[in-house]
This record gives sequence, structure tokens and C-alpha cells, in this order.
Amino acid sequence: MSSAQVSVIDDDAAVLRSVGRLLQAAGYAVQTFSSSQDFLTHPGGGAPGCIVMDLSMPGMGGLDLQQALAKKADRRPVVFISGQGSIATSVAAMKAGAIDFLTKPFDASRLLGAVSAAIERDLSSRGAQRERAAVEGRLASLTPREREVLDMVAAGKLNKQIAAALGTAEKTVKVHRARMMRKMQVDSLAGLIRTWTSIQPPSASSA
Amino acid sequence: MDVHSASQRFLGLTARRWRTGAVPGPLAQMLLVAVGYYAAARVGFAFTLQPNPISTLWPPNALLLAVLLLAPARAWWWLLAAALPAHLLIELQSGVPTAMVLGWYASNCSEALIGAALVRAFAPGPLRLDSLRKAGLFLLCAVLAAPLLSSFFDAALVRLIGWGESEYWDLVQRRFASNVLAELTVGPLILTWATFSSARLRAATPARYAEAALIFGGLFAVCLVAFDLPQIDARAAPALFYAPLPFLLWAAVRLGTPGAASAIALLTVATIGGAVSGLGPFTDRTAEDTAREMQLFLIAASVPMLLLAVALEERSRAEREAHEQRLQLTHLARVAMLGELSGGIAHELNQPLTAILSNAQAAQHFIANKTGSPQVLSEILQDIVLADLRAGEIIRRLHTLFKRGETQFRPLDMNTVVGEVLDIARGDLATRSVDVRRHLGESIPAVSGDRVELQQVLLNLVVNASEAMSAGTAPGRRVLTVCTGTEAGMVKVSVIDSGPGFPAEQHERMFEAFYTTKAQGLGLGLSISRAIVRVHNGHLWGEANPGGGASFHVTLPAA
Repeated sequence: MSSAQVSVIDDDAAVLRSVGRLLQAAGYAVQTFSSSQDFLTHPGGGAPGCIVMDLSMPGMGGLDLQQALAKKADRRPVVFISGQGSIATSVAAMKAGAIDFLTKPFDASRLLGAVSAAIERDLSSRGAQRERAAVEGRLASLTPREREVLDMVAAGKLNKQIAAALGTAEKTVKVHRARMMRKMQVDSLAGLIRTWTSIQPPSASSA
Repeated sequence: MDVHSASQRFLGLTARRWRTGAVPGPLAQMLLVAVGYYAAARVGFAFTLQPNPISTLWPPNALLLAVLLLAPARAWWWLLAAALPAHLLIELQSGVPTAMVLGWYASNCSEALIGAALVRAFAPGPLRLDSLRKAGLFLLCAVLAAPLLSSFFDAALVRLIGWGESEYWDLVQRRFASNVLAELTVGPLILTWATFSSARLRAATPARYAEAALIFGGLFAVCLVAFDLPQIDARAAPALFYAPLPFLLWAAVRLGTPGAASAIALLTVATIGGAVSGLGPFTDRTAEDTAREMQLFLIAASVPMLLLAVALEERSRAEREAHEQRLQLTHLARVAMLGELSGGIAHELNQPLTAILSNAQAAQHFIANKTGSPQVLSEILQDIVLADLRAGEIIRRLHTLFKRGETQFRPLDMNTVVGEVLDIARGDLATRSVDVRRHLGESIPAVSGDRVELQQVLLNLVVNASEAMSAGTAPGRRVLTVCTGTEAGMVKVSVIDSGPGFPAEQHERMFEAFYTTKAQGLGLGLSISRAIVRVHNGHLWGEANPGGGASFHVTLPAA
């Protein structure tokens, strides 16, 4: 847990210091920023963690920062803290993927609960990310022919059909298929399909 | 036990009423009337020119009439009855037949009743000489009609009983003149002082007391010279009559109706007192002529002074009421504006509360984990103290804005006022993502003004700008600029926004009361702001910026 990194952004110096201290006391590594711009120049994000940010700040407000991070593909979960939360803004924040929306002043248990949930999500999404990267690496190691075989196997075609489509012997297809299975580190058709679907984009439009 | 507690309650009640300066109890009132009547009759006898049997000034009737005017009608009968013992006591000493003594009591009471009933018919309730209408009513009914009507009755009684040798019309004429003067002198004196609140006396400054002393001292000295010295030169008489005039005017203008009534009473006493002792300008003629001329002089001098004092008091009351209404309206608009700001203010208060709570809970964690060094804990405590002071300051500022107070002119630094206003509006500006820029001029002269009212003006401009921008400008482009500076000897504060601005036809209309373009707004903000600035001898105007947005400027004279 102590390796998790929490970035706190609030324009109010007293709030910033106190929230930073609270998270430090709970064992997190804390970085504090007094404005969105300040944060964007040193966003960090290497280590797993989350962002705790004020909703209304002069210049770039919390919701705008949330959007800017999404554009930069910074997927660290966000916990909003606000001195005056309207329903409309909290709905907008949650829709954009915020973990929680806390109204100031908040009890430590709520903040720490939200932060730990956010970090958990970051860790699991980072795990999934790593997993995906590994699968993508394995995919990249396939030869074009092996890749073609994979696509057709995943589409449910039989070796015979594949051989016909590729214009080769069924025996050759079997060799390609075995090599492909080994490279993909799976030992069954079910395992192959699971790995294959885990890296498909949600709205499947792969060609 | 019951009787005991009841009597205690009764005594307690009367004691309380005395302490609060309220109306004295019935017995005390009757005693006051009796003593007053006796004293007034003594004055009347003292002011009788011998051998003329009728006094130049006969105050007991006027006293009775004034008492009735102050009392509810159901109390009139026992108040009049209270005067009877005093009447008998003083009149029976003078060797007048009992029938005549009782006849005079009847005619005196009739004068009081006629006057009081006539006045009451047109002006219900206890009479206060606080408007020209009521003063006119008093002059017509109590000073003119009551002595006139009762004098017919009185003269008829005198002729009927056969006291003295005077003709009926002579009797009517003499009694009428003497009682008119008495009503004019004694009536306002009692009416004004009886309804005068002691709070006003206590609130008066030493300078005011000194002024009153100067007026009455001066009037007394002038009256002594004019009316109470052996007559030197008859040709100087007309000039002497005018000698008290400045002091009478002074009293009427500066001391209100009680002051004017007192000054008139002093003039009357000095004039008649001198003549009775054979001094002053009214000496070289018969007693009857002397009495008539003095009466005419005093009536002619008193009526305009009394009316002048009443008219001035009426006007100053109207001004006070207008002032009071302006204060009320200003306060109303301020509270309404603070209501609009409540979200931002809550935000502003929640910041230090968050800092306090998070710091305290961080300290609890540090202590529980045994990880907090004394250095860290002491920093936390220091921050808690600062946040608490900050919250207290916000509440203190709000309190002064919420409070209703008199306008107080003090030297003010407008840069400080701008800072305070931006502090109050900070929450609102932050929640609306407005970027605030300050261009505060250096070494700006102080202005003389009311801190709260000028805060209200600037806060109104800032809130308007902030609302306009949050309604019509994209979040990143909401900029509020506040500038202060000096321009042609005036201190100028400008509130400039990057909002949508306003169309030309709204240019002056927005300063009208109840004109608003907001969904929630009284439409009073700008009109009251302009009124406040005007009271400060300044100007408030708005203009559209060439590059978009609106600017509002306040100029105030340097103190």
C-alpha cells in the first residue's frame, strides 16, 4: 500500500496541506499541487495511485482537468472533493468516471475509503493493462500466416476450412496452429478464445 | 396571602410604570391636576392688573384643557373633579361668593370640555403637536373656539349672579382674550413636554444643552431689558418688541416644539410680570388697555413661532422616516444579496472547516501509528489555529454585513474595502470558475464613507459580474478585473468583467428600482448601490467594454 502515490490538487493552501497530511498519515506517498496547471506540468503517474482534486478552482476546474487527463490517456482514478457540490456537477463527475464525490468537510474515513477504492481500481486496471500488453506481445510474435490461422480459429473455422481458405494442406494448417498455440501460451481452444477476447476492443471493429 | 400578593403586584405594577416613564396612576394624575390647577390659579392671580378684576393670563383652564387632551375621554370626569378642591381652596380665600366660585368652576370646566371634545372629534387619541394639521386644529378648537364659547357662558353666569359691575360684552371680551393667551402659552407647554420622551433628552449632546442654555439665557436677558426695566423712552418700544424675536426663532428652529413652547412661556411671563410690576413698555395707559395690548402682542408673537416649530418638526420627522426607509431598503437588498451568495459563502466556510477536520484526523492517525513527530504535530496544531481564525473572520465579516446599522462615515482605504469584498465573494467566484485580477493603485487617498455600505456596492457589482459571466461565458474565459486609482481628485474603483455585456437600451434602466434581467433578483441592487454612492457624494455608472463585457465604475471624493 505504501508504494501507492496520491496526488492532491486544491487551490486552498490550508485544505491542500491538511488533506496531504491526512493521506500521509494513512501511509500513502503524497504529492500536492495548488492548481490544475501546476499538476499538468508534473503529472507523474508512473507508480500506481489516484488523484484527489478540488472541483472548483480558478483557471482550470476539476471537471476540465478530468477531461484533460482522459485525453492524455492518464487513467488514474479521480476522487473529487468540493466545498459546494451541486447534483449536476457531481453527476457529471461520476459519469466521467470519478470514484467518489466528497463534500467538504468530509470525515477521514470517507476520504481514505474512497482513496483506497481508487487505488485498488488503479492496481487492477494496471494488472489488466499488463496482461493485455503481454498478450499483445505474444500476438506480435506470430508470423502473418500464424495470425491468419488464429483469426480463423477464433472465428470457429475447422482446420479443413482453414486449409481450403488458405489454399494449403490441412497438415500444414495443423503445424501452424500448434506453433501459434505455443506462442500464445495456451493449451486449449477455450484458453485461446479467452485470451483472444480479453484484448478485443469493447466495440469490436477489428479487421 | 392573596390580598397580600395582589397588593404587591399592584405596587410592583405602579412602580414599574413610574420607572419606565409611562403614564402615572389615576390617583397620582388627580393629585397632579389638583396641584397644577392650584399653582396655575396662583400665577393667574399674580398676573392680575389692579384694579382690573380679570387676569391678563388665566392658566388653570388651559391646564385643564391640556390634561383632557392627553387623557382618554372616560378619565375626563374624574380629572375635572380633581380640580374642584383646588378651585375652592384658592377662590374661597379671595372673598368671592360661593355661587360665583362654583359658577367659575363650571365655566372653566366647560372651556376644557368644549376644547377637548372639538379636538378629539377631529383627531382621535391623545393630542401630539407633531403636524401642522394637529397644530391648526389645536389653535382653532382649543385656543379660539373653547375660550370664545365658554366666555359667553362665563359672562352670563357673572351677570346672573351679579358679581361686579362690568357689562356683559366687556366681560366676554376680557375673559376671551385672557384665556386665548393662556391656551396659547400653557397648552403647548404641557402638550409638548408631557409627550416628550426622556430618551431624547438623554441622547442630546453637551453642545446641544449648551445651545439650549444660550437660547434661554439670551431670551431671558433680552426680555429683562425689553420688558422688565423702568420705561426709558416710549419711542423705543416697537424696537423692543422685536428684541426677543431672534431667540424665539432660534428656539423654534433648533429646539423643536418643546423648546418653542418654553420660549413662548418665558416671553409671556417676562412681559406680563414686568407690566404687573409697572415696568416695561406697557405702562403708560389704563390697566384694561395694557392687558389688551400685551395680549395682542403675545398672541401675535406666539402663533407663528409655534407653527414654525411644528412645521420644522414635521419636516424633520418626514426626513427621519425617509432616512429610516432608505436604511431598511439598503439592509433588505444587502440581505437578499447575501442570500444569493450563500452557496459561495458555505464553500468559503467549508474550506477552513475541512482543513481543521483533516488536520485533526491526520494528527489522530499520526498518534495512533506513533509516527507523528512533535514537530509535525505542532505544525498541525498551528494550522488548525489559523483555519479556525479564518472561519471566525468570515463569520465576523458576514455578521457586520447582515447587521442593520446607521450609516457611519469614517476614513476608508478603498483597496482594503476591495480586498474584503473579494474575500467575501471568493467562494462564489471560485464555484463559478471566475479568474480574479486585481490592479490596485498605490497610495490612493482615503475616502470618507460607510464601510458596510461601500462593501455592499462593490459586492453587488462583483456578484453581478460573476453571475453574468457564469451565464454567458465559457469557464476558461471568465475574468473579473478590479482596479482602483485616482482620477481628477476622486478615488475610482472599476469592476470589469468579460461577460456578455449589456445592450445600450439597458444602460440607464438597470439603475431603476425593480428592473432586473435575472430570474432570481429583486432588481434593487444597482438602484440602491447608486443611492448609497450618491449619499457618499460619488457617482456610479456602467458602460459596455469595446472588446466585450461590462465595466462599472464608482468614483468617490477623496476625504
